[in-house]
Amino acid sequence: MRKLKFHYRTVMRFDPPVCRHSYAVRCVPVDTQAQKIQIESRYVKPADSLNETVDGFGNHRYVGYCQGYHSEFEYEVRGVAEVESMVLQKEALHPIFKYPSKFTKHEPEVVELYRKMCPLEGDELQRAVFMMNYLYEHFEYVPGVTNIDTTAAEAIRLGKGVCQDYAHIMIALCRFARIPARYVVGMMIGEGATHAWVEIYYNHGWYGLDPTNNLHVDDYYIKIAHGRDYEDCVVDRGRFYGPTTQHQEVYVQVEEIE
Amino acid sequence: MGIISVDKANNLFWLGRYTERVFTTLRKFFRVYDHMLDDSDQDNGNSILNYREYCGRLAIPDIYLNEQDFVTRYLFDRDNPDSLVSNMERAYDDAIVLRDEVSSHVLGYIQLALDTFDGAKNANMPIFALQPVIDDLFAFWGCVDDYVENEECRNIIKTGKYLERLDLYLRLDYRMQDIEKEYSKMLNRLNKTKLHINMEKLEELTAIINKKTELTENYREALNCLGEIVEVI
Amino acid sequence: MQNLIDRTAEINKMLARYGVKFGIYKNNVFKEQLFPFDPLPRIITKEEYIPLEKGLIQRVDALNLFLKDVYTDKQIVKDGVIPEDFVFSSSGYLPECEGMVPPKGIYSHISGIDLVQAKDKSWYILEDNLRIPSGASYPLIARELCRRASPQTYQSNRIIDNRNYHKLLRDTMENVNCGGIPVIMTPGRYNAAYFEHSYLAERSGCVLAMCSDLFVNENVLYYRDYKGEKMRVGVIYRRISDEYLDPMTFNSESLIGVPNIMDVYRAGNVAIVNAPGNGVADDKGIYYFVPKMIRYYLNEEPILKNAPTYLPFYEEDRKYVLDNLEKLVIKDVAEAGGYGVIFGRDLTKEQLENMKQLLIRESRRFIAQEVIDFLDLDIMEGNERVPRKADLRAFVLSGETTKVWASGLTRFSRQADSFVVNSSQGGGFKDTWVLSQ
Repeated sequence: MRKLKFHYRTVMRFDPPVCRHSYAVRCVPVDTQAQKIQIESRYVKPADSLNETVDGFGNHRYVGYCQGYHSEFEYEVRGVAEVESMVLQKEALHPIFKYPSKFTKHEPEVVELYRKMCPLEGDELQRAVFMMNYLYEHFEYVPGVTNIDTTAAEAIRLGKGVCQDYAHIMIALCRFARIPARYVVGMMIGEGATHAWVEIYYNHGWYGLDPTNNLHVDDYYIKIAHGRDYEDCVVDRGRFYGPTTQHQEVYVQVEEIE
Repeated sequence: MGIISVDKANNLFWLGRYTERVFTTLRKFFRVYDHMLDDSDQDNGNSILNYREYCGRLAIPDIYLNEQDFVTRYLFDRDNPDSLVSNMERAYDDAIVLRDEVSSHVLGYIQLALDTFDGAKNANMPIFALQPVIDDLFAFWGCVDDYVENEECRNIIKTGKYLERLDLYLRLDYRMQDIEKEYSKMLNRLNKTKLHINMEKLEELTAIINKKTELTENYREALNCLGEIVEVI
Repeated sequence: MQNLIDRTAEINKMLARYGVKFGIYKNNVFKEQLFPFDPLPRIITKEEYIPLEKGLIQRVDALNLFLKDVYTDKQIVKDGVIPEDFVFSSSGYLPECEGMVPPKGIYSHISGIDLVQAKDKSWYILEDNLRIPSGASYPLIARELCRRASPQTYQSNRIIDNRNYHKLLRDTMENVNCGGIPVIMTPGRYNAAYFEHSYLAERSGCVLAMCSDLFVNENVLYYRDYKGEKMRVGVIYRRISDEYLDPMTFNSESLIGVPNIMDVYRAGNVAIVNAPGNGVADDKGIYYFVPKMIRYYLNEEPILKNAPTYLPFYEEDRKYVLDNLEKLVIKDVAEAGGYGVIFGRDLTKEQLENMKQLLIRESRRFIAQEVIDFLDLDIMEGNERVPRKADLRAFVLSGETTKVWASGLTRFSRQADSFVVNSSQGGGFKDTWVLSQ
């Protein structure tokens, strides 16, 4: 078990300013069987109206609205997480995680990749780890070649991408292999941006694997949200009025304390 | 229901304007057309215009080749944004989204007037065949009074109607006493709505009209004020 | 009746006057079309109507229980009555609605159940529409005009007055009202069913709102008026699909919709009619299981029959479908509005073979049905009566109790050889009379 101090902040700048801005933000980690969260401070601004809700997957969401013109939108969460390493989080399986989703369809690329690696040996976890190893070996981490709309099949074709792509391919492969899997967004030790990884279901619980780093998810990870794929976990969604260009700065810092 | 959104307020206002525009310009057109029957050089000494002047007064581009072309394209050409049928279509566009406010009965007359244009286009006496448009618009106004239950709705439509009428009377050189009458009708309706009013422009217009002198030359000044009184999107 | 037939032209003229139209896009240009009306009504006798009504109520009640079950306990899946695949891999299942029980537990407030009558006069269910079934406004206004055109006809026949649909609708909405004004939300006048949206708003006294008139503040939905005042909305009959309902929850590209309305709904501060997520209960794949649902939830035998349906998903069914393809009709589960319907008998040898391969490859994507020997209805073509294919959309409203509107939309195909009755494909409509004795 480790104690991690985290700080997550995003600032979005609009030039020229925008108005009538509706938004929904998933930025607050919640308690799970693997983590206990103490929030020290948090805010979303500007907000004429701000509410906390829980989505269909159990993730925390801030939903809010700002009517007037504003050139900045920001949110920040600071706190401490007590995290257990490599926990099997026991819970009933929702069947939705067995089936392909928008970004993880069983397209020919997925099937072909699966046939190539042939992960036949062992239980679900062993096979998933085998696939993770294979993916780590054969897929290259290159930022900028994919975007937030890239599907698993497209990323396989490219052979490179970022954590979101690793996670989507891994999920597509697992579900094709009849191993339920879900997408996770969270933070990892160090400084940088948010991270994405995978949880697979076996032995009546969820277990985290990080294909980007070829690691079992241990006590250096803090989870923020999970869902079928990226789309269920989008950190912030917004709709506003005004022709504008936006610039976003994300700051994540996680460090061990005590 | 007595609740009017910004969009609906806008539609109500313009429904009033476009129906009035079709109504008054069509009636004026009948007179211009009548004048065209005579030798165009013949000066009968009154203010009835030829079609070129008419276009100039209404500030619509004179794109017409000759009188016959004017009759066809000013009345019936849907591709001509200044034609009467195009204005009728705009009235229809505003009306169609107001069914729940103004009722299907009221809408029916707009539909009939619009359909009349299509029917009249191919009639052998197109001008004559347009008479029902006037009738339908009269019926429309009567129906607005009887079937539009929400007073605020009626006031917004009528603000649009009288504002448009005033605009046209100013352009088409009506007598000051007519203009004064329509001005006071408009003011009466306008004051009962919660539309945003540009008070400065309203006062300017009031001053011009209160002079009670004929506006022959400086009607444009009055028009400019009028155009800015109601601030609708 | 002859009297009514003689007035057909006038009735259609009146329908045009009142703007009874539907919109279609042809080559990306929006056009409004008149919906051709045929004066010969579909007549349902009292004896026929009693079991029909009972059967429809039974079916819709079971479907509502199914929806609640799917989004909460999933008992019917756990008990193996419906395979998990057909529920959770359906595009109509929305995990965003997981755990949501709407006000009073009603998911499908307005259900449009499509039926056909076979030559033996028995009714078959063609499909259930639990999302935003449209069409009630057409017979509603047609009856009004027909009664004016030919009062004698209505004096001499005992016909249940159907001009109460807007009251049923309003009652159904008020039953789940969370405190506020009732609103009908339309995507705008360029929607195919805009006439209906505006007409139902006029008749029911609901506020017709565009999405942009509505906004969310502190988890409450409001309607904004032109004076800048806001009114709380308690129930919203939305005529836009789930996908576009809330860009913060569903399709983020949606330019319509009301941001964060789903959170208001989740907080119990507004009722959405019909509930989001209903698509899981009305796709063509789940249709097969509705009789099983009725037995499972209500412990009753289904009163109305499904058309004999096969799921290529099941091996036994697949074998039958492949062996009998040329006499079956194949439907793509994901399509609607008369699209994706393929008659085996229309296919060439090669096409049949391709279809078979497709059925094997994507077995979950299709259902196959026996072609029902329709009881044709007569329509007037000029002065002649000619038989045409027709279906019936019955409207079932689930309020305090479940009620069937004693009428419905009868659509017919205008071509003699066509089975497709959809208005978007050129069909017309008839009034539907339910006799009181």
